[in-house]
Amino acid sequence: MVSTQAQLGRWLRRSGTLIGFIVVIVYFTINIPNTFLTLPNWLNISQQISMLAVVAFTMTIVMVMGDFDLSVGSMASLAGIVAALLFRDSQPVLLGVVAALVVGLIGGLINGVLVSYIGITPFVATLGTLTVFSGVAFLLSGGETIFGRDIPADFSTFARGGIPVGMVNERPLLFPNLTIMALIVFVIVWVVLEQTAFGRRLYAIGGNVEAARLGGVRVRLLRLIAFMLTGMGAALAGLMYASRVASANPTQGAGLMLDAIAAVFLGMTLSEEGEPHVAGTLLGILILGVLDNGLTQMKVDSYVREVLIGAIIIGAVTSSSLNRRGR
Amino acid sequence: MASPLLSISNASKTYGSSRALIEARLEILPGQVHALMGENGAGKSTLIKILAGVVAPDSAQIALSGQPVTIHSPQDAFNLGLRFIHQELNIVPQLSAAENIFVSLPYPRRAGFLVNWAKLHADAEQVLAQLGIHHIDPRQQAARLSPGDQMLIKIASAFWGAERAATSVYVMDEPTAALTGDETERLFKVIRELQNKGCGVLYVTHRMREVFEICDMVTVMRDGRVVETRPIASTTPSDLIRLMTGRDLEQAYPPRTLPVEQAVTLDVRDLSTRQISGIHFQLHAGEILGVAGLTGAGRSELLAALIGAERRLTHDVLLDGAPLPPLDPTRAWERGFAYVPEERRTQGLMLSRSIQDNITLPHLQRISRGGVFLNRASEKRISTEMGKSVQLKSTGAEQITRQLSGGNQQKVLFARALVQTPRVLLLDEPTRGVDVGAKYDIYTLIRQISGRGAAVIVASSDLGELLGLCDRVLVMRKRRQSALVDATGMTAQELLTLCYDEAG
Repeated sequence: MVSTQAQLGRWLRRSGTLIGFIVVIVYFTINIPNTFLTLPNWLNISQQISMLAVVAFTMTIVMVMGDFDLSVGSMASLAGIVAALLFRDSQPVLLGVVAALVVGLIGGLINGVLVSYIGITPFVATLGTLTVFSGVAFLLSGGETIFGRDIPADFSTFARGGIPVGMVNERPLLFPNLTIMALIVFVIVWVVLEQTAFGRRLYAIGGNVEAARLGGVRVRLLRLIAFMLTGMGAALAGLMYASRVASANPTQGAGLMLDAIAAVFLGMTLSEEGEPHVAGTLLGILILGVLDNGLTQMKVDSYVREVLIGAIIIGAVTSSSLNRRGR
Repeated sequence: MASPLLSISNASKTYGSSRALIEARLEILPGQVHALMGENGAGKSTLIKILAGVVAPDSAQIALSGQPVTIHSPQDAFNLGLRFIHQELNIVPQLSAAENIFVSLPYPRRAGFLVNWAKLHADAEQVLAQLGIHHIDPRQQAARLSPGDQMLIKIASAFWGAERAATSVYVMDEPTAALTGDETERLFKVIRELQNKGCGVLYVTHRMREVFEICDMVTVMRDGRVVETRPIASTTPSDLIRLMTGRDLEQAYPPRTLPVEQAVTLDVRDLSTRQISGIHFQLHAGEILGVAGLTGAGRSELLAALIGAERRLTHDVLLDGAPLPPLDPTRAWERGFAYVPEERRTQGLMLSRSIQDNITLPHLQRISRGGVFLNRASEKRISTEMGKSVQLKSTGAEQITRQLSGGNQQKVLFARALVQTPRVLLLDEPTRGVDVGAKYDIYTLIRQISGRGAAVIVASSDLGELLGLCDRVLVMRKRRQSALVDATGMTAQELLTLCYDEAG
């Protein structure tokens, strides 16, 4: 009896973030009765958060090792600029996309070399590259937004497209391509982290880097690869963003980094040992997206929204770390 | 006869089922430098920790200058005039010598809150002068002082204020471990200065030469008991070694059942790293080689070099007769080396991960499908099987390693090493912090593995363990290989003599 109670208590504490999420949904459902809990609204949310989701999913890869990458936002901007510039030169869409992803890989390679071979802390290394990537994006674009006829229709229609799932007001309801993209990235990251030896070794590094090294894990190489994957994820998010707004400017990825890290932290509160898992990150992303969507519909001032979201992140992480300390 | 400055008697301490200290007693007279000797685990550190107020004894009577006192906290010990100097130099390198002297004391102030720097430096100079130290500038950054001078700074810090306490007893735990010969001489001058001032010194060391140079009395501990206290004048180094080791080696070790094979598994012709040099030995299949040496002699560093955790300066090694390139730990595991490091919590285990994750980590490549995709069913089967073979007590392969006892955590590391019968098994302090019952299990296991043809290397500070288990023993001294001897018929006394430098 006692142990059942204890188990329930532990489950409640561990699932605090999940329960909070359900409470938020119930609250919005009651207060925004006609629109919140509808398929079109949720498809809309999924599209809104898809770019952030891609960054957060791939951010999880480095955070599993106890590292993080501050440069993802400016990498997203840079990748968008690189693709748009190639489009302006009338290069094929495919070339622009591939080039942007390669830029992401190279950026991640630089981060990885700095962190893992030169030994700079991730905070300093990626703070430095954040500024460098942003500067390069400004240099390449001349500080201007690239838009209009420069962006080929093949590229910008992708973000507006989707798979029809029904009709609303005589217009087709689409399952957005961007959402599909985010789901594909989710599945890939989940497989990599949870189902491969590579992912297991990343978790081993996060658990105890010296023990991992002595236990045969190639710590430096794996860290390098992980940063490259995160860089490529940021570049992909930048492409998705550029496609959605049919333009590219050197600051458009700026907001992604903090929200992505916040989403991973929210997700970490779900795991017993406080490790990041990509499924947890997904929940973190949903919490941020739903809050944003619901509060906007309730016409809550956007500044209030920011205060609320910040407070929720601190609250969730505090309660879960208090739990861990209490054990 | 003067009443003792410090006396402790009837001191006992039990940890779980193991008795760390049994009715120990010790007296230090004013102006006496008193050596405390004994093998690792003899109870020296427990005794010191009771005096320092870090460990609560089951029983103990402590008196200072004849007055009974109780010590419940480090603060109590400090207020009573007891000072502790550890072998680790816990100085703050960025601060000046003077600031380090006063780092745990109130700085002299002016106007209530500003630091009076002039007085701080003058006080520092004064306390250094009282100890006969004139070559250290109090303004100098501590990082730029030699290890010996850093030690003197710690002693000066301990000396300040203690002179005003009713008693002052300095407990020094292997203070010369990091010092050169000249620095040691300087330290001895300061110790004699303390002695002249009527302070008492309890001097813990493994170094025979120092005991005979600086100490007046010696107390030897063994298995938690004080074996004997006698004046230095009426003892010899070999007396002390006999007193420290005087135990029989019978029972505790399972006997060898199979003979050592003829084939040479590992032929180390020359091996050196930045830490160790001059290593050369041949290891046969089924043989158990011990690595002995004092603390800091290079035991762990030898194993670290063999698993490839340290960059090698020279490397001429053959495995099964074929030249072996310098490997990193990844390749070393792949080639059949297995390693159980000294510090299981910091070097061995991912405590936040499951038993299964910890056991399979070095073997993932082989266990996973195509070397890429995890095969959890197979991991679970292997982990459960290996857990059984090392008699691991757990709720299952998915249990988090943090929740296990120390002995069971050690067994997880053994299970990891045994997933494939290793060609060469490297064990660093395999039974440290493990209770007696689990020790026997581990010895039996080591015998079994060597019986399957593995070559085993055991580094240990427990001489009895080395002699009871190993066929031959490699002795490290001052980070070089100094001897390679047959263990059969050897006594702990003889082995300890080999480990000591100018001993015997």
